[in-house]
Amino acid sequence: MKNIFLTLTIFCSFSLSCQTADELVSLIIRKIELVKDYSVSANIKADIPLIKVLPVNATIYFKQKDKFKVVSKGIAILPKQGFTDVSSFLSKKGTYVSVDGGLVVLNGIKAHIVTVIPTVENSDIVLAKLWVDIKQNVIIKTDLTTRGSGSVTIDYIYGYQVGYALPDKITFTVDVKKFKMPKSVSADINNTEKNKKPDPNKSKKGTITISLTNYTVNKGISDEIFKKKD
Amino acid sequence: MLLKNTYNEFIKIIAKPRSYIGLGVLTALILVILFAMKADGSSYISFVTASFEQTLSFNGNILNGNLIAFIILQMLIVHIPLLVALVTGDLISGEAAMGTIRMLATKPISRTNIVLSKFIAGAVYTLILTIWLAFLALVVVKWMFGSGDMIVLNSSGLVILQEGDIFWRYGCSFIVAYLALLTVSSLSICLSAFAENSIGPIVSTMGIIILFTIIGSLDVTVFDSIKKFLFTTHMASWRSFFEDPINLKDIWQSIIILVVHNILLVGIAVIKFNKKDITS
Repeated sequence: MKNIFLTLTIFCSFSLSCQTADELVSLIIRKIELVKDYSVSANIKADIPLIKVLPVNATIYFKQKDKFKVVSKGIAILPKQGFTDVSSFLSKKGTYVSVDGGLVVLNGIKAHIVTVIPTVENSDIVLAKLWVDIKQNVIIKTDLTTRGSGSVTIDYIYGYQVGYALPDKITFTVDVKKFKMPKSVSADINNTEKNKKPDPNKSKKGTITISLTNYTVNKGISDEIFKKKD
Repeated sequence: MLLKNTYNEFIKIIAKPRSYIGLGVLTALILVILFAMKADGSSYISFVTASFEQTLSFNGNILNGNLIAFIILQMLIVHIPLLVALVTGDLISGEAAMGTIRMLATKPISRTNIVLSKFIAGAVYTLILTIWLAFLALVVVKWMFGSGDMIVLNSSGLVILQEGDIFWRYGCSFIVAYLALLTVSSLSICLSAFAENSIGPIVSTMGIIILFTIIGSLDVTVFDSIKKFLFTTHMASWRSFFEDPINLKDIWQSIIILVVHNILLVGIAVIKFNKKDITS
């Protein structure tokens, strides 16, 4: 009798927590779906080992479901995945299961951890761990594991567009240990550092910080913008 | 007298059809590169950024005139020495082969000044070739592909230079590239002083460049002590202007070594020509 009660308790709590996770994901999707399109001014700062680049100003355009375009005068570096992938992944209902990971406090914000696992075979996202602000129903951090691009950690800071779940600042932390220079292209004769052993303490993580200002939400964006070549 | 003779030497250079081969080949090579870049430049860029593109995406006009000018310089700086040697390798030996060297030596000008005037005329021809390369690479290419930030790949990583920070780098790099080509010109004039025919100095110049380049690219410690003294090692120092930060110490070292090479080679040519038996 005692054992049956214990099993029932565990089962019920697991079911309850699954429901909570699903509810949270539904609330996030509802917010995401409020945005049909947006354009925003972005200042992109990349601090990536092996890459030297100054901050670049750009304009980012997005249109449901997955149209995304960065227009910049200079060369802007963005992570391959993570900008719109989480929201478009979550929007495909029935292609994943969400598991409750409990409550935590992250940067002073009470957050619920939700782990999302795809149920379809061809999904590029292998695992997404979301920290959801339970007060605002927005994702404040994501740990994204993908097949093609490795793992990406994304931190979001929200401002006046929190109602649309649009952040003011996004910080991507990407894994860069696999970067290698093709020697045939980089024939750098004067370089004398080739005999130096790689520094084991050198950071293998790169960060890209995007500050977003001047959102224009749901004002309509022409499809031509997404077709234009750089 | 030196200037007058230099003018005469330059007239001789422009009168020879082979002097236009260099300009023609250079133009054709650049047109071929431009066609290739227009047709399939993105795949070349992918090759450069392949290691990063698994994780990162590069947005903006990457394949622009600034990058293509860099690619052209990188590709052609290996071949231009042949075009320079084709003309300058003939300057003294050509006179010996045609038998005009005796008449030249009877002029009221010292043998040292004859060699110096040939060196100056060769330097002017090399300058014209460099300016033509700069014009095609910077003006024509930018007109075709537009301007923009520039991605430079070197062994320490990717450097993205902003559009406004590029032109002066090209200016400086063309000066250093000119100095490197001038060294090739001096080498071929020096070898020309030893030869009685035109082919020998031209082939020898290219042979020396190939030999030194191979020694420079071999990753073995036995050559490490001599590598830094080979002029071919410093022929690519124009690339250093596209580093961030620029290693001025390395650039100055390259400039000094190239200048010393020029002085030595012209000096050897002067000594040899002064001792040259032109009576037989």
